[in-house]
Amino acid sequence: MPQWGMAVDLDRCTGCGGCVVACHAENNISTVGDEQAAVGRAKHWLRIERYWEGDFPDVRLKFRPVMCQQCDNAPCEPVCPTYASHHTDDGLNAQVYNRCIGTRYCANACPYNARFFDFFNPSWDKPLQLQLNPDVSLREVGVMEKCTFCVQRIRAAGTQAKAEERDVADGEIQPACVQSCGARALVFGDLENPSSEVSRLSRSPRGSKLLEDTGAQPSVTYLSRLTQV
Amino acid sequence: MRFVVTVAVCLAAFVGSVGCRVFVPASAEVDSSFPILPGQSREVFTTARPTVAAAVNDFFGRRPIAEQPFDFPHDIHVGKQVACTLCHSGVARGPVAGIPGVSTCMICHRVIAADQPRIQQLTALSEQGIDIAWKRVYGFVPEAHVRFNHAPHIRAEVECATCHGNIGEQGIAQRNVDHSMGFCVNCHNENDASIDCLTCHF
Repeated sequence: MPQWGMAVDLDRCTGCGGCVVACHAENNISTVGDEQAAVGRAKHWLRIERYWEGDFPDVRLKFRPVMCQQCDNAPCEPVCPTYASHHTDDGLNAQVYNRCIGTRYCANACPYNARFFDFFNPSWDKPLQLQLNPDVSLREVGVMEKCTFCVQRIRAAGTQAKAEERDVADGEIQPACVQSCGARALVFGDLENPSSEVSRLSRSPRGSKLLEDTGAQPSVTYLSRLTQV
Repeated sequence: MRFVVTVAVCLAAFVGSVGCRVFVPASAEVDSSFPILPGQSREVFTTARPTVAAAVNDFFGRRPIAEQPFDFPHDIHVGKQVACTLCHSGVARGPVAGIPGVSTCMICHRVIAADQPRIQQLTALSEQGIDIAWKRVYGFVPEAHVRFNHAPHIRAEVECATCHGNIGEQGIAQRNVDHSMGFCVNCHNENDASIDCLTCHF
């Protein structure tokens, strides 16, 4: 059984935001408008955090795309009273919308702020509803949603591979963010397979996990040059 | 006194289960703008039924009979050994089996039974380039969040009749089998298929 994971090369990331746009388009993420966004109800399954490093004039700008880290020891899972948030065999941190009753415990438990609550039913100004992705559910009001590693693409590739009686090839599955990254900063694949690119990058000495001391054991590795400022 | 309480509890339970219109939220107009994905039916997201009669029918499993704009007899076609996949040709390739267009009908009916009135009606439609607006008999509501794919089931050699009943003995296709989650999960368990939520719900 593959264990899906991602590697993000921060030295490559230019902070262009292409991944954010692609994520919104692929996953039918609705927008909530200025006023609601101002009170923290905006939903971005993937966001780009911006950091300044060093003191003026030797400053350096760093970007960090942050999505659900699909933790192996996910803090969001044990707090869910309905098992809407649970772990799958292939290492995904699943969110089942049908089960979710909207307690929002998981969002409070998540150290990465990667979970978003639907305060409203999704709506799009006509004719924008025509651009919706039919492979992805629309989440109604009152459920929690988050990055799924584009599970619809993972499942589609798995079905296709099974039909052709083979294993899923490395690089065959590309979540929307990976596909749209112009700098190829994002790499997705199977961490169990030692020869896959993501597994090679995850073992890199440049690699680190986000908020490692929480013990969440995230599946996303951030690669960054070790600098002494 | 005890009787009164019992009646009151039963009444409350009944009202609660059928869902009175009183419980429909004031924001129902906002809900009606909930966009639907192409090919999915439009139903308002609420556990309540629109009327008491609808709730009673739902309780007894009575469904409205599917009415199609054109009386297509499945029994005649299946009786003449026409394979399901001849018309529902997408079934082995992808998620949807597909409902055939008039052009598919005309492959056979250009010649076969061309003197029948219904076939002449069909030929007329075909010549005008009009397709029949078939109504869906099966399908999941958007709120079910189900991503069903026919192809893996066909590869696993699940018979059409397992999920669609004896449609070959029916005239106009009706919903014979209740596609509840229990129905799916039982079959998945029996055949060692995955029952992880993310197999179907995403």
